[in-house]
Amino acid sequence: MQLGIYEIAIYGAIVSAISFLLVLLLTPVAIKSLTKRGWTVPDIHKPNKPAVPRPAGPVLMLGIAAAEAVLFALTMNTAVLAVLLATAIAFVVGYIDDSKVMPGWFKPAALLAAALPIVLLQAHGDHLNLVFGSAFIPILYIPLIFVIMPVASNTINSIDVLNGVASSFIIISTLPLLASIAIFGSMEVFLAALPLFFATVAFYRYHRYPSRIFPGDSGALLLGAMYGALAVAGNSEIIGVVALLPAVMNSFLFLSSVKRIVEHRQVKARPVVILDDYRLAASKDRSAPSTLVRLILADGPLEEKEIAYKIFQLSIVSAVLAFATVAVQYLLLR
Amino acid sequence: MALAGLLILIVVMWLMVLAVAGFLVTFVAPVDAPFPSPLVSSAVRAIIAVLAVIALIFGLGLLKKLYLQRKLA
Repeated sequence: MQLGIYEIAIYGAIVSAISFLLVLLLTPVAIKSLTKRGWTVPDIHKPNKPAVPRPAGPVLMLGIAAAEAVLFALTMNTAVLAVLLATAIAFVVGYIDDSKVMPGWFKPAALLAAALPIVLLQAHGDHLNLVFGSAFIPILYIPLIFVIMPVASNTINSIDVLNGVASSFIIISTLPLLASIAIFGSMEVFLAALPLFFATVAFYRYHRYPSRIFPGDSGALLLGAMYGALAVAGNSEIIGVVALLPAVMNSFLFLSSVKRIVEHRQVKARPVVILDDYRLAASKDRSAPSTLVRLILADGPLEEKEIAYKIFQLSIVSAVLAFATVAVQYLLLR
Repeated sequence: MALAGLLILIVVMWLMVLAVAGFLVTFVAPVDAPFPSPLVSSAVRAIIAVLAVIALIFGLGLLKKLYLQRKLA
């Protein structure tokens, strides 16, 4: 069923409002509840290491799931259901990791399951969108989805190192993804992408510096998985990668330094050190892993807020490059 | 200045991703005619695509090495 312009506008307004308002209104409740139950972690980059509640994953999941469920009821589109289920699976994996210390292999292995709804409900296209054209490689495309989902989830999780970074990163990266899905994907998937943007905008209010709540693994993984699922279902894989380049770089730097899949907490040598004045500096330890933050600090120590601002600038540049990629593809395929 | 270096790195990564996408469209997508069945041609395309991505990762690794030598030495 082809959606008309009025349906797109109305459905878009409904799902955006549901996801935005639920996250905006429920996050303070979650902050109080988590603090009361002692579900807090120290914010190690600040004086006196204040206790910050986490995870915000359940609130983000609630806001996104409610919006996607309403959208599915309105459109009965299986791609919407696939995005919702993939996001929910990543949330469950993250929530297990939030509740219990799991080995390094757990998240990448368990997140393979997040690809199942996309494959089983056939939410993916037949052709891989390669900007300058497309390629029909069915034997490769299905395994590729099983790679994309854990990689997208862990990429966002690994950038969640400073106040507000993961949420601002998702907000900025989702903009070119939305444009790409609207042009090269389907309107149903475009509508399904709106809750990711609006839920994260609402969450940013509480996650920005100084954070009042952390997303936790459940929050970061669900945001990454939803981003990956939307890129696949919206025929926008390459554009999705380009918009995430600073985070991709961060994961690549880390993995190529430690040369194995491992949790950050298991790495003994830290990539950054905290100075007496609570500024962060790049570690001089040669065995410390390379990360985006360590590279940013290569020219000298910075405050946490300054580093977050630099990552923000990098994410804007990668979003501009992603928009340029959308423009190139649009002009070539017109 | 650290940011300027990282910005250049991101732009180079972007160009490398586009180069691989262009290679796949130009050389992999049309692979069809010489093969007897769609499965074989799909497998050949998949192998070439995987090799191209491995080359991209190798290139990114070299880029990272050069950048880190300059920055963290």
